[in-house]
Amino acid sequence: MLPEFNFKRPQTLIEALEIYSSGNYSIIAGGTDVIVELRKEKKAEQDILDITGLDELKGIRKEGKNIVIGALSTFSEVFSSPLIEKEAPLLKEAVRNVGSLQIRNRGTIGGNICNASPAADSVPALVALDSMLTLASPQGERKIKLDKFITWPYATDIKEEEILKSISFSPPEFTGYHFYKLGRREALAISRMNVAVMLKIKGGKIEKAFISPGSVMPSPGRVSVAEKLVEGNKPSKEIFEKAGFKVSEIMIKESGIRWSTEYKKPVIEQMVKRALIFAAGLKE
Amino acid sequence: MKKMKNVEVNFKLNGKEITVECEPAKTLLDLIRDDLGLKGVKRGCEIGECGACTVIMNGKTVASCMVLAPQAEGAEITTIEGLSPEGEELHPIQQAFIDKGAIQCGFCTPGMILSAKVLLDNNLSPSREQIRRAIAGNICRCTGYKQIVDAIEYAAGLLNDRG
Repeated sequence: MLPEFNFKRPQTLIEALEIYSSGNYSIIAGGTDVIVELRKEKKAEQDILDITGLDELKGIRKEGKNIVIGALSTFSEVFSSPLIEKEAPLLKEAVRNVGSLQIRNRGTIGGNICNASPAADSVPALVALDSMLTLASPQGERKIKLDKFITWPYATDIKEEEILKSISFSPPEFTGYHFYKLGRREALAISRMNVAVMLKIKGGKIEKAFISPGSVMPSPGRVSVAEKLVEGNKPSKEIFEKAGFKVSEIMIKESGIRWSTEYKKPVIEQMVKRALIFAAGLKE
Repeated sequence: MKKMKNVEVNFKLNGKEITVECEPAKTLLDLIRDDLGLKGVKRGCEIGECGACTVIMNGKTVASCMVLAPQAEGAEITTIEGLSPEGEELHPIQQAFIDKGAIQCGFCTPGMILSAKVLLDNNLSPSREQIRRAIAGNICRCTGYKQIVDAIEYAAGLLNDRG
C-alpha cells in the first residue's frame, strides 16, 4: 500500500487547473517517477491529481512549421510517431532506451521534463532542438524555453498553479545526428551520461552544429563554444576531439571538480567525439 | 490521519466489465492481485524494474505496480488468467513455454508471456533480437533467457500454423 491520499481525475484542462489551484495536489501522469517517490513516504504530503484524462495534453502534430508534442505523449508514442521519425529522428533515438518497454508505455515526455532529472534522456535531444514549453495556469498560458525552464537538478521554473501542456520546436535542417547514451547496462539503465548532437554539413563544411550533453551540467543546455569550434570546419576526428575537450572544460567550469570528474572528464570527451563522428558519417 | 475517499473504478478485466470501489492509494497490482484475487500478477520489486507485475493495458504492456488503481478507469486489462479463460486449453505461448523448458521457478513467467503476447500480436515472425528487446523489461533469474527466447520463437511458429 502507498501512503494515504485523495485522488482526482478531471477530464478537461480547465477543470484540472481549477482543482490544482484550489488545494494541495501533486500531479501524476505515467506515474513512473511519482509512484517510486510515493513508496518512500510514510505519509503523503499531498493529494493526487491524475491528468491522464486530459485530451488537450495528448497527441503529436504539426502546426505550421512547428512540431507540437502533447505533454502526456508517452515515450512509446514519441518513438513510434512517423512525424518524429521524419523531422526529429534525434528525439526518437533519445527515447529508444528509456527504462523498459513497460516504462516507455507509461512514462511521458512532460513528466520527464517536469521531474527534471539531470539523467533524463529526452531532455538533451529536446534542448538540441531548441524546444519551447507551453504552461497552462488559470490566468492563461505562458511559454518558456526548455533550457531556461530546468534550473537545477530536479528543480524547474514551474509556478504553483501551472501544468505543462505541450512541447514544441521548429525542426532544424540537419544532415546527421546521434544520441549517445552511456548506461550501466542496456535495459532499465539510468543514463550515467548522455549527449545529443546534430550536424548540418554543406559543401564539405560544417555549417551548423548542435551539441547538447546530459547528466554533466547542473542544468541542460547546448555547449555553444564547442559548436562554434567545429562550425566552418571540415568534419574530422581532430576537430571533433577538440569539441569533446571544450565540453569537458565547460563541464568542470559549471559543475566543479567532483569525486566523479576523473571518470566523467575523459568519458564525456570521447562520447562527444564519437557522437560527432557518427553524425558526420565518418568512420571511427 | 485524514480519511481517504474511496473512488469507483470501471474497467474491463480479461474481457469482463467490472466496477470496484477502491482506496485511491492502491496500485493496479494491489487491486488485481489482492482485492480481485488474480495471483498471476506477481508482486516483485514494486519500482517498475523487474517486470513480474506486467499486465496488458489497452494493448500495451505496463508494470501494474506503476499504475494507480483509479488510473485504470476505462481501460482494457489482460492478465495471464485471461489467456486461457476456461483453464482447459493453454494459449500457444503458454504451451510453448512448457514445451521448451522456459519455466523454472515460474515467478517471471506470467509477465514474460504477456510481453511475448504483445510482441506476437504485432509481429508473427520476430527475429531473436526483436524477441530479446521485447522481454528486456522482464527479469528472469533462473533460465538465462535462452529457453525463453526459444519458446517465444516456437510460439510464433505455433501461432502462424494456427493462422
